[in-house]
Amino acid sequence: MEIHKYEKFWFGLSLLLIVGFIGTITYGAVGAGVQMVSDSGGTVEPSFSSINDHEKFAQQEDNRAVPVEGEEDKYEVGVVAQRFIFQPGTNNPIEVPEGSEVTFYITSPDVIHGFSVVGTNANTMVIPGQIAEITVEFDELEGDERKEYGLVCHEFCGAGHENMAGKIQVLPEEAWNSGGDA
Amino acid sequence: MSSETEHATETADGAVSEVGHDEFVSSEAEHTTESSDGIVREIGHDEFEPVGTLLLVLIYFVIIGVMWAFMYFIEFLGNGPTVV
Amino acid sequence: MGVFVNDYPDEAFIVRAALTSSFVALAIGGLMGIIQTLHRTGFYDSLISNADYYTVLTLHGVAMVLLFTIFFLVGFFQWAVTDSLGRSSEDIRITKLWYAMMVLGAGMSAVTILGGFVDAGSLSGVDADVLYTFYAPLEAHPLYYIGLATFIIGTWIAGFDWFRSWWAWKRENPDERTPLRTFMVLTTMLMWYLASLGVAISVVFFLIPWSLGIFESVNSLLTRTLFWFFGHPVVYFWLMPVYMMWYVILPKLAGGRLFSDPLARIVFVLFLVLSVPTGIHHQYVDPGIAEGFKFLAMTNTMFLLLPSFLTAFTVVASIEHGARQRGGKGYFSWLTALPWGRPAFTGMTLAGLMFAAAGFSGMINAGMSINYLVHNTLWVVGHFHMTVGTAVALSIMAATYWFLPIITGREIFSRRLGLAQVLMWFVGMVFMGNAMHRAGLAGVPRRTADPTYSQFDYTNTFGAVTELRFQIALGAVFLTTSLLLFFAHLVLSSFDIGERAAATPDSIPTPLSGPEHAPAVLDNIRLWTSVAIVLILLTYILPIASIVSDGGFLGSYGAIVVDQIAALLSPVLDTGGGVIG
Repeated sequence: MEIHKYEKFWFGLSLLLIVGFIGTITYGAVGAGVQMVSDSGGTVEPSFSSINDHEKFAQQEDNRAVPVEGEEDKYEVGVVAQRFIFQPGTNNPIEVPEGSEVTFYITSPDVIHGFSVVGTNANTMVIPGQIAEITVEFDELEGDERKEYGLVCHEFCGAGHENMAGKIQVLPEEAWNSGGDA
Repeated sequence: MSSETEHATETADGAVSEVGHDEFVSSEAEHTTESSDGIVREIGHDEFEPVGTLLLVLIYFVIIGVMWAFMYFIEFLGNGPTVV
Repeated sequence: MGVFVNDYPDEAFIVRAALTSSFVALAIGGLMGIIQTLHRTGFYDSLISNADYYTVLTLHGVAMVLLFTIFFLVGFFQWAVTDSLGRSSEDIRITKLWYAMMVLGAGMSAVTILGGFVDAGSLSGVDADVLYTFYAPLEAHPLYYIGLATFIIGTWIAGFDWFRSWWAWKRENPDERTPLRTFMVLTTMLMWYLASLGVAISVVFFLIPWSLGIFESVNSLLTRTLFWFFGHPVVYFWLMPVYMMWYVILPKLAGGRLFSDPLARIVFVLFLVLSVPTGIHHQYVDPGIAEGFKFLAMTNTMFLLLPSFLTAFTVVASIEHGARQRGGKGYFSWLTALPWGRPAFTGMTLAGLMFAAAGFSGMINAGMSINYLVHNTLWVVGHFHMTVGTAVALSIMAATYWFLPIITGREIFSRRLGLAQVLMWFVGMVFMGNAMHRAGLAGVPRRTADPTYSQFDYTNTFGAVTELRFQIALGAVFLTTSLLLFFAHLVLSSFDIGERAAATPDSIPTPLSGPEHAPAVLDNIRLWTSVAIVLILLTYILPIASIVSDGGFLGSYGAIVVDQIAALLSPVLDTGGGVIG
C-alpha cells in the first residue's frame, strides 16, 4: 500500500520517540538504579494479629527505624496503614537517621491505601494481603535541624480518608543516637 | 444511498476525486447553510503535499522530546529520595 | 441520499434516545463536578460534608466516563453502521433491547450511588461509596455491581446487533470492502469484548457473590488487576468513536477529504491489537506484581502511542487539504483559511489540540519509574480531564452540532452560541488542566475531600499552591458555564423557535487515498483478534497466576491450593451438603 513519504518520515520519527522513551526508562532502571515496587515483600493475612506476628512488623516497637543486624547505615520500618492512620507515622513521626538506607514494609489489614512521601519519589500502593517493600536513601543533613517529610494516603479508603496523613523525620546523627523523641 | 460515497472508487483511477466531489460541490456551492464548505478549488490525490502538516508534527516532536527529557532528568531524578 | 432521520426513522429514534441518556449523564456528572471542585479547593465547602464528597465523586466518575461516553458511543455507532452499510437494523427489537438494558443497568447503579446521600431508614445500607474503580475490599451494595454488569452486557448485545448487520451486508455484497465507518465500529467492539472480559469476570465471579455474602472475602489485588485489565482499554472505547469523528467528519468540516482510508484502518487494527495488554501500567507501584511484568506493560504502552501519532498526521493532513481547497496557502497561514466560525469544526480541532498536549502527560504516566513522581496525584486527574474530559467530551459536544440535524431533521439554533460554548470549554480546561498537572508535581493527592493536611505544606516548583487552587476553581466555573450553554442550546434546538431551515443532505466525500489501496489483510478482523488474544495471554497469564498462587482466588494468603479451591466451591458444597450428605 502507498503511504505518503512525509507520513513515512513521521512514522519513523514516532518509532524513534517511542524507542527513546523506552531507552530512558531502561536507563533509569539500570543506570540510576530505580527499582519498581514488586512482589519481594511477600504476603500476609490481612488481619491485625497476623500482621503483628510478621517479623517486619513485630520488630517495629515504636516510631524509630529498626537497625538491620550486621549492616551499617541500613534500617527497616514496618508501617501498618489502616483506616485512617499510619502506624507509626500519624501519632508519632517515623524517625530515621541521616545518611541511611531505609527499607519500608507497608501493609494494611482493611482496605487499599496509598503511602506517599510528599515531594519525593517514594510512592506506593498498600494492598491488603500484600506487603509493599520499598528502599529509600536519606542523605546526610546540612546542619543540626531535622528534615521533615509529609506522608499521605492518596487512595480513597473511606470517609475519613482526607485526614490520613503523617510525617517522616530525618534526624541528625547526634539526635538519633541520643534517642530522639521516643 | 450513502454507501455509494464510500464505494464510488470502483471507477478508473483518475476519476476518483471527481466522483466524490461532484456529489457535494454541486448541491452546496450556492448555499450559505451549515453544510457549505467554502471550497474554491479541488486538490486531487496527486497534487496534494501536506507540507504544513509535516512542519506541525516536527514542531510537536521537538516539544515532546524536550519536555520528556526535562521531566525525566530534572523533575523526576531531581525529586528527592527515590526508590532504589 | 436523504437525511438520516427520514431514511431510517427507527434507528434515528434509538440514536436520539442514546444521546439523550448520554447528555442526562453529562448533566449529572457536570453538576457533581462543580460541587466537587468548589469543595476541594475550599471556595465553597459547606454544601456537602467530607463524607458525602466521596459519594459525589463516585457519581461524577460513573456518570462521566461510563454513562455519558458509552451512551454516546452506542448512538453514534448505530448511525455509523446503518448509514455506511445503507441498511436498517436486522431486528429493531434487539436494538431496543440492548438500549433498554443499558438504561436499566445505569439506573440500578445510579440509585445505589444516590443512596449514599441518604443515611436514614431503609436506604441506610444502600450505597456505593466506592468510586468508579470500586476497589475491593471497599464494598458497595450488590445492585451497584449488578447494574454495571447489566449495562456492560447491554453493550455486548449492541455489538452483536451491528455484527449481524455486517454479516447480512456481506452476504449481499461479497466483493466489496467493508465501509470505513463499519470497519471502525467492528474493530472497536472486538477490542471492547476483550477488554470488558476482565472486569466482567471480577464483577460476576467475585464482587457480586461477595457483596451478597456468598464469599467471605476476595483477593483485593486480583480484583484490582482484573479491573485495570479493562480500565486501560476502556479509554480507547471512549476515544475510538472520537477518532471516527476526526477521520470521517472533521476533514469534511474543514472542506477537505480524508487523507488516507488505509491508514485509518491500520490505526484501528493497532488499537484492537495493543489496547488491552497494557493495563498493568496503572499498577506500576502495586506490591505483588513483579517488575518484569510492569516493564512489559510499559513497552506495550509505549508502542500504543503509535496509532495516536499516526492519527495526528493523517487528521492534520486532511484538515490541511480542506484549508488549501478553501484557498489557504503558505507553510502555516493555511490555518487561517479554515472554517473557525463553525462550532463543530472549531470544537473538534481544539479538542484534538488539547489531546496532543494531554498525550504528553500520558507518555509520562506510561514511563514506569517516573510514575513514582505522579502516581495518584492531581497530575493524573489533569491528564484524564484533558483526554476524556476534552478530547472526547468536547469532540462529542462539537460533533453534536453537526450530528443533531441529521437525527432530528432540524438545523441547530445558533452557530454563535455553539462557538461560544466550545471555546469556553477549551479555555476552562486550559486553566483547570494545567493547574492540576502542576499541583500534582507538588505532590497534591487525588481522590481526597480536602487536600490540606496539618502535617505538612506543599512546595511547588511553578507557582504558589493558592494560585493553583484558584485556577482549578476558575477552570471549573468556565466548564460548568460551557455545559449550561450546551444544554440550553440543545433545548432551544429541539423547539421550533425562529425560522430554521430543515436539515439538508450532508454527504461525506471520498478519501484522497481510498480503501482500494488498503491491503485486504487489514480487513481480516479474525486475524487481528487472534493476535490481540495472544498478546493478552502473554502479558497477563503469568502475573495473574502469580497473584492467585500468592493469595488464592478469594484472598487466603498462604493457604495451599486445595484449600483455596475448596473455599471457592464452599457455597456450593455447603448448600449441597444436606442432600449429598
